[in-house]
Amino acid sequence: MDVEAHNPEDVPGTAQGADEPTLEKRLRRLTEIVEALEADEVELDRALALFEEGIGHVQVAERLLAEAELKVEELVRRAGGTETRPLESKDE
Amino acid sequence: MTSDSLNLDLFTSDPDPAGPDGEAEQDARPAADRRAAGSPEAAQSGTGDATTGLGGEPPIAAEPLSGPPPLWLEDSPVEPTDETAEGERDPFEGHRAVARADETVDPRGDSAVDTEPRVWSVSEVNHDVRALLEGAFPHICVEGEVGRWTRHASGHCYFTLKDERSQLRCVMFQSDAARLPLDPDEGLKVRALGGLTLYEARGAYQLTVRQLQAATGEGLWRLAFERLRKKLDAEGLLAPERKRPVPRFPPAVGVVTSASGAALRDILTVIRRRAPWTRVVLNDARVQGHGAAAEVAAALDTLGASGLVEVIIVGRGGGSIEDLWAFNEEIVARAIAACPVPVISAVGHEVDTTIADLVADLRAATPSAAAEAAVPDQVELARSLGVVRGRLIRGLRGGVAHRKLRMREEVNHLGRAARRVLEPRHRALLVGRDRMERAVRRQMEPRRHQLGAQSDRVERATRRVIDMARRNLAAVAGKMDALSPLATLQRGYAVPLDDQSRVLRTVTEFEPGDRFRLRLVDGRVHCEALDTEAIGDGRGSTQS
Repeated sequence: MDVEAHNPEDVPGTAQGADEPTLEKRLRRLTEIVEALEADEVELDRALALFEEGIGHVQVAERLLAEAELKVEELVRRAGGTETRPLESKDE
Repeated sequence: MTSDSLNLDLFTSDPDPAGPDGEAEQDARPAADRRAAGSPEAAQSGTGDATTGLGGEPPIAAEPLSGPPPLWLEDSPVEPTDETAEGERDPFEGHRAVARADETVDPRGDSAVDTEPRVWSVSEVNHDVRALLEGAFPHICVEGEVGRWTRHASGHCYFTLKDERSQLRCVMFQSDAARLPLDPDEGLKVRALGGLTLYEARGAYQLTVRQLQAATGEGLWRLAFERLRKKLDAEGLLAPERKRPVPRFPPAVGVVTSASGAALRDILTVIRRRAPWTRVVLNDARVQGHGAAAEVAAALDTLGASGLVEVIIVGRGGGSIEDLWAFNEEIVARAIAACPVPVISAVGHEVDTTIADLVADLRAATPSAAAEAAVPDQVELARSLGVVRGRLIRGLRGGVAHRKLRMREEVNHLGRAARRVLEPRHRALLVGRDRMERAVRRQMEPRRHQLGAQSDRVERATRRVIDMARRNLAAVAGKMDALSPLATLQRGYAVPLDDQSRVLRTVTEFEPGDRFRLRLVDGRVHCEALDTEAIGDGRGSTQS
């Protein structure tokens, strides 16, 4: 399997930036990493790097779960396109 | 809507089958509005002079109809000059007649005028007959088969209802016809709700239909549903292979529904509970009533094109089949099919299946269920993250352990090969400095006897194995080299052997003049001992 280790935090921009890997990407990556590690064909160095990356993803994902707060927005038309604005919550 | 106003609406229209230009519609509305205020009283009042009114003189034929009840006069004074035109324009006129209709059907009314025959104009006849009809049949339900159905450009529909013996002309004006899910086929058995009226210009009476239902249950809706389903199916829009998988962990979920509806509340509640990191983008759309389908379709288009969301939930809470109808309309179906991201439909309750459900990539029974399908459950996710953490750790450990095992196997392999060559003649060639080596030794011990002093054939064969093993070993790298007996020789060590190929371990085994051999990495040297000299303690004898 061709799985190279990456730094889980190594993304351009801020932590909340547009390039922040989505949760789905992280989880998909985690699956790859676990499968690679369990395949027994990884060099020790690479295995360690994969492990570190994987644990990083797990930690980021867990943090996401712990800190998240639902954002509800409303799509509104503007000249030349659309934009969003927070939806006043009617149910709280 | 009260039954009063419903009833009134039945009278609003002045049908004009010859001119489906919407005029009748435009005329009817203001009249209806005016009547809406006056009619309940009207129905009660103004009955006193009905008989005399009808028996009055021709020049004021219309007058008695509008005569005594002051309410009417105040509300709408009538000075008919052109009665046909008046009848066309002012359905109110007809209504006034209705107020008297109950009285005028009384046969005694006729007897009052038979001494002096009255000469009626055609318009007068039609005018009064119309009043009679509208008064006598303001609100009836007629069952029959649909014959010749015509929908004009104006949206008004003209058709006949028939049974085995007769037929009845019917008109359905645009505002009512617009709510029909489809134009019924000829021959379809229907129930028409409406009121009788007379089209004075033709002297033809007809039923003004406000509601049309298939005679059996929701037949008309079902029919429309089936028709659209077949059409979309023929285009392949319902094919299972068109269904796109819904993302499992969408960062953003789009919702197309009413901002004030229960559906949105349900969806937000579920997403907040299950996946509070989600961004929800609503595109508000009316989900029932006239124009709802177009709004829903437009909202889907914009939200889909915005690129903001990975999946869209479209739907609304439960309601009657008419309430849900927007989701059975073609425009919505096509918007769903064209949406660039997967669409989850959630319309009504479990039992309601709409066209939208059939076209959507995923059908959810309710808005809450749609939200559950759209986002993962954080509890489950946290649990599986824990599992992943464990697998990472075990995977790393397992990998290391596995590598150790493999290294050991390769060493064993090499050791076996080396022993096959060397051991028969050079016992204890391997000094066995580490555990792994001793393990190899223990494993090999039973075989040593079998091998004995075997033939060159075995030796050649095993050499090949060694060569192979050596090549394999190159991959296992330096750690194992250190453990390998060949590597020991490689590093410059030599093993003295006597003519029985036994390893000579200590100086006491040599006598000056003894002949022996030295085993080097690449061959043997024949030697003769000159002298011996012990150094320190003679450590290193191994018991095997």
